[in-house]
Amino acid sequence: MTKRQGRLFFIICTLVSATAFIGLTFDSHRRFPGLTNEDKLTPEIIRGKDVWHNSNCINCHTLLGEGGYYAPDLTKITQQRGTPYLTAFLKDPSQFYSEEKHRRLMPNPKLSDAEISEVIAFLDWVGHIDNQGWPPRPIIVSGTTIPGTDVGQPSTHTSVSTDPVAQGEALFRSSPPACGACHSIAPGVNLAGPTLAGLATRAAAIITSPEYKGEAKTSADYIRESITHPSVYLVPGATYSANNQSFMPDNFATDLEPRQIDSLVAYLETLK
Amino acid sequence: MRYRSQSIAYWYFAIAMCLFGLQLVFGLLTASKYLGPDPLLDFLPFDKTKAIHTNLLIVWVLTGFMGATYYVVPEESRSEIYSVKLAYIQLVTWTLMGVTAIVGYMFGWTAGNKMLEQPFPLKIVIVIVMLMFLYNILMTIKRAGRWTVTEGVLVAGLGLAAVLYLPALIEYENYTVSIFYRWWTIHLWVEGVWEMIQGGLLAYLLIRLSGADREVMEKWLYVIVGLVFMAGILGTAHHYYWVGVPHYWLPIGGFFSALEPMALLGMAMYAYFAMRRAGFSHPNSLAVHWTIGSAVFTVFGAGLLGLAHTWPSVNKWTHGTLITAMHGHGAFYGAYAMTVMAMISYTLPHLTNDRKVEGNSLGYWAFWMQVMGMFGMTLSFGTAGIGQVYLERILGLGYLDTQLKLQVHFLMLIATASVFATGAALFIWNFFRTVPRSAATIDSSTSAPDLAPAGHASSAGSG
Repeated sequence: MTKRQGRLFFIICTLVSATAFIGLTFDSHRRFPGLTNEDKLTPEIIRGKDVWHNSNCINCHTLLGEGGYYAPDLTKITQQRGTPYLTAFLKDPSQFYSEEKHRRLMPNPKLSDAEISEVIAFLDWVGHIDNQGWPPRPIIVSGTTIPGTDVGQPSTHTSVSTDPVAQGEALFRSSPPACGACHSIAPGVNLAGPTLAGLATRAAAIITSPEYKGEAKTSADYIRESITHPSVYLVPGATYSANNQSFMPDNFATDLEPRQIDSLVAYLETLK
Repeated sequence: MRYRSQSIAYWYFAIAMCLFGLQLVFGLLTASKYLGPDPLLDFLPFDKTKAIHTNLLIVWVLTGFMGATYYVVPEESRSEIYSVKLAYIQLVTWTLMGVTAIVGYMFGWTAGNKMLEQPFPLKIVIVIVMLMFLYNILMTIKRAGRWTVTEGVLVAGLGLAAVLYLPALIEYENYTVSIFYRWWTIHLWVEGVWEMIQGGLLAYLLIRLSGADREVMEKWLYVIVGLVFMAGILGTAHHYYWVGVPHYWLPIGGFFSALEPMALLGMAMYAYFAMRRAGFSHPNSLAVHWTIGSAVFTVFGAGLLGLAHTWPSVNKWTHGTLITAMHGHGAFYGAYAMTVMAMISYTLPHLTNDRKVEGNSLGYWAFWMQVMGMFGMTLSFGTAGIGQVYLERILGLGYLDTQLKLQVHFLMLIATASVFATGAALFIWNFFRTVPRSAATIDSSTSAPDLAPAGHASSAGSG
């Protein structure tokens, strides 16, 4: 090979790669609006993106898997935590995690109410970007699902059988609705939401207690009500609710089909 | 040193060394936060120290590249630098920009975009500095009327680095589009044009250190840069997999990322065979260590550790974990930090007084402690990352609980980082140990003997 041929090799490689890359870039731009729901990109969401940048969130967290690797990935956070929870969390993160236990803590970002609502809107928009189904299984913030719990269980929608309990269990572990991202079924393991171990037994006690103001007459009714209207009965604890509103998302009544809610209730009722 | 204006390089290297030292201070501080709890949570939390750590890296490596260019161009073009004054104004402006950025980050003045945290006014200063630099270099070459392929590749790499910074100046409303173009800057820098710069400097060093024939070295330099671009440009796709792009980026990214180590392996073989032919006989064997070390560590850090997680079906699980930090440290250190230190080790006997060409034991301690320390750091991040992928991504343990289980790896990280930092401190101390040669005393007869025959430069336009 001569120097001239070497140069020709360099020029051809560079031109071919650069042309292909630029061509694919043009095509990607054609597809971005559909993949990212650009029509839903409101001024509030764009302001939320500015809050995200101004607060330097990316140098601890990751979003779409990109960032600082020091704090949890937030790609699907709004599908795992409702707005009331995230609002309360952003107002004072130290209430929700113990620095002694986890050895790291989020500093208070000192955001205004408007900024909090904007950044949550931004994160919700990001959570709905079509990104090839990443992450392959939910990345949860804290808690354990190891010994004796649900390790190794299917994590996506699967039609395991026609048995409503089995279907409910599969749904519980799938994302969405990602029930398992906030609720453990192991006794004493409270994540963002309280443990559901012994739920049916507790439900029976709650509906007969004077604090209960709902309409449920049976454990099954109570469980159904907790899924569809989480604020009817508030489990005690500052990290579960504020201002008489539960931190649990209240979208399940509309986002889940009645059949799915039935199977979830059937499954949760077995947790005695 | 044959040209007085080459002494500009010393001051660029001096600033680069100060910033390198500062980078490690912030690196150790950042690493200690993995162990926690963090007493500095309210003043200097992780996000600030990490941004400062990575920005200092970029600034000091670029300072080193610019210093190296001010050293290489006069020799290759056989001419003094066009404007020495402009070179110093550029250095002062650049340093002030860097210091302002760091202080700004401490007080929350940030654009909050990973690696491109520089606030908009500082980005403009960066562009101005790059223009000053390129103007000075291009005018030097123009005035001399001669250029070589080696310096052509080096200067084209720096010019393209400036061009690729431009997408970072634009605001994008769509976050996915913003990520898409962020990688035009970051990826096409580090796996594209910066490798061009590395290739140019490597060719310069190899021609000087091995006495290899310039025609042969420059022919292969073309081939290597061609391979780098063939794999690197489309290899950008490995950053796109999960951010909201069309599916075809996955197979493209997988295939071209797998080719990237080939280009880097080519670079290492290029260095090794050139040196073997000369029998490693150059008196500055410390510079030989750094040059070969850089080429080999690049294959390991950038090539193999990159390949370890760029295949889409692997990346699906490792994306966004400490596996990326493993690759990032190995790649930046091997390819760029070591290249700059190779240039410093080669030029220092010419740039300072009372220094033996063959180096001293301090220099070798600095080399080996850094190499072993960085090797240990990549292992620490790598083992932590594997643990994280398994516990968090496969088993489903919560993020925070997983991190608690990785504490032993963080301890290992701090231990190996301390070895690395000691090696770096020795290098910095060795750098400042003797005073710079003043330009007035420079005489070509004081130059260390080089093995290279005089360069066969091309006349302008025909190279």
